[in-house]
Amino acid sequence: MKVDVELALVHDGTEWVARNGSVVARGRTLSELDRDLGRALAASGKYRRGARVLVFMGFDNGTIPTWIRQYAAHYFNRYVSIEV
Amino acid sequence: MDNVNRKWYSGMLTTEDWWAVWIGLFMFLLGLLSLTGVDLVGWMAKTHTWALGHPEKGFATSLSAAGKAYADMSPLASFLVTYAVFTALTCIGAYFMKLNVKKFFVGFTIIFLITWACWVIGHEAHFKATPNQWEKYGITWGLSLGGGFSYLLALAVGLFIGNFMKKFAGFLSEAAKPEWFIKTAIVYLGVKVGLMSMEAASYTFELAAAGAAATFVAYMLFWPIVYTLGRRVFKLPRQWAAVLSSGISVCGVSAAVATGGAIRAKPIIPVMVSMLIVVFAMMELIVLPGLYTTFLSDEPIVAGAAMGMTVKTDGADAAAGAIMDEMMRAKAAQSGIFWQEGWILTSAIMTKIWIDMFIGIWAFVLALIWVYRVERQPGQLHVGASEIWFRFPKFVLGYIIAWFVYVGIAMFLPDLVDAAVVGANTVQSPMRKMMFMLTFVSIGIITDFSKLRGMGRLALLYAIALVVIIAPIALIVAWIFHHGMMPLPA
Repeated sequence: MKVDVELALVHDGTEWVARNGSVVARGRTLSELDRDLGRALAASGKYRRGARVLVFMGFDNGTIPTWIRQYAAHYFNRYVSIEV
Repeated sequence: MDNVNRKWYSGMLTTEDWWAVWIGLFMFLLGLLSLTGVDLVGWMAKTHTWALGHPEKGFATSLSAAGKAYADMSPLASFLVTYAVFTALTCIGAYFMKLNVKKFFVGFTIIFLITWACWVIGHEAHFKATPNQWEKYGITWGLSLGGGFSYLLALAVGLFIGNFMKKFAGFLSEAAKPEWFIKTAIVYLGVKVGLMSMEAASYTFELAAAGAAATFVAYMLFWPIVYTLGRRVFKLPRQWAAVLSSGISVCGVSAAVATGGAIRAKPIIPVMVSMLIVVFAMMELIVLPGLYTTFLSDEPIVAGAAMGMTVKTDGADAAAGAIMDEMMRAKAAQSGIFWQEGWILTSAIMTKIWIDMFIGIWAFVLALIWVYRVERQPGQLHVGASEIWFRFPKFVLGYIIAWFVYVGIAMFLPDLVDAAVVGANTVQSPMRKMMFMLTFVSIGIITDFSKLRGMGRLALLYAIALVVIIAPIALIVAWIFHHGMMPLPA
């Protein structure tokens, strides 16, 4: 699927954090994260306000503790349509 | 985005699962070259039963190269080549998985030495030999534990390190990868199942079909019952109940992580549940083989299938299946009944593999339910079907390839069967068993029982669900689909 933005997703123990080289968004829940992402995309200046942007969030499996990775090496990926 | 599963081939060089496939198929292919008359795996060291102080069957005869073509190779040379080959292969894997290769190398070397020491000691006749073999080894008493003693010893040493030498265990943990080792062993087991299929194709497929049916039925029962128990009785939040239910009902840590991901839980939830699963799987591994051998020795395949549905990590299940295979055969041998090695283990692995394969689909369904019915967040487009592939246990591919290639040889190239067996026997026996032994030591090293502290309510739910729901239902379902099936006579 062709997407407009690709982000790596992690959980820092308190918040979900989605980022790439130019955008960072945070939220205690995924809903909050999506709202903050709308704000971050607008702030980046690359998208006009009100536009819908298709976002891919891939969980950074490198943040899964090493000992668990041998059991499961995938957490989840998300496709979200965000209103900027 | 290096660690993100984005493409279908993501993780092919960076996960233990894929490296089990590569190392498994590499040795499978080397073994297959015996079709050309060249034995490229016969250098593998193989243990033999030996008797302390016996003039002809003493310690010096405890090891040899596995292949007839390597009959002149000294036991020490065979051992060193085995060490060099497997250390090189696993270190290459460790490099690509971005582990600390130097630490892995030292850790693997130590685990390898412990493994072989336990394996050789476990083959001493007083521990291993059955009564009908005592005269052959010049002994008058013995424990008649079969090959299972090696496994138990390896497990005991690993557990001792993991619980009483924690600093040392921490150092070894870089190389203590029971899931990687057991998945590689399961690919080698595919070779064995292939050989078994040559002899009894319909029975092998019957075992696979019965395993699939039993797994499906058990699946449909386990999850909703445990989830309801967690929610209604233990008042767990929805996410905790779902992750725990999958962990205990389906395939352990991988199911807990898959479900955590499917329902978008904070990663700490599957991590906590996984700690619980690993410790309980060890308890099951210690208790169930002896329990089933005592009470189910007249239905060994039922016991194997029930094991596969009850023990929740691949490593612990395969390890428990291997111990039970040895214990049940040793017990039967005392009554003058001799079964082929591997059928009981295979029944334990069959059900487990089905469970492993189902988890991708189950997590996908759960993700759909969670995203569209439970959370219903605006803007959430869809759950990618690629999630099923990312969660598919890749080592199963190696297992199936190895299995079906040997079935294909038996069906289409029957004249080459004898040549194929030469390489296959080394891969499916000493090589597979070494990976099992590495698993036993490693699983002990990474199991720290003190991690149960502070897990009160979760641990209690886990224990109740395991004893009252999972184990009995698994046994009943296994009996319905497998009763009357017996290992083939040796």
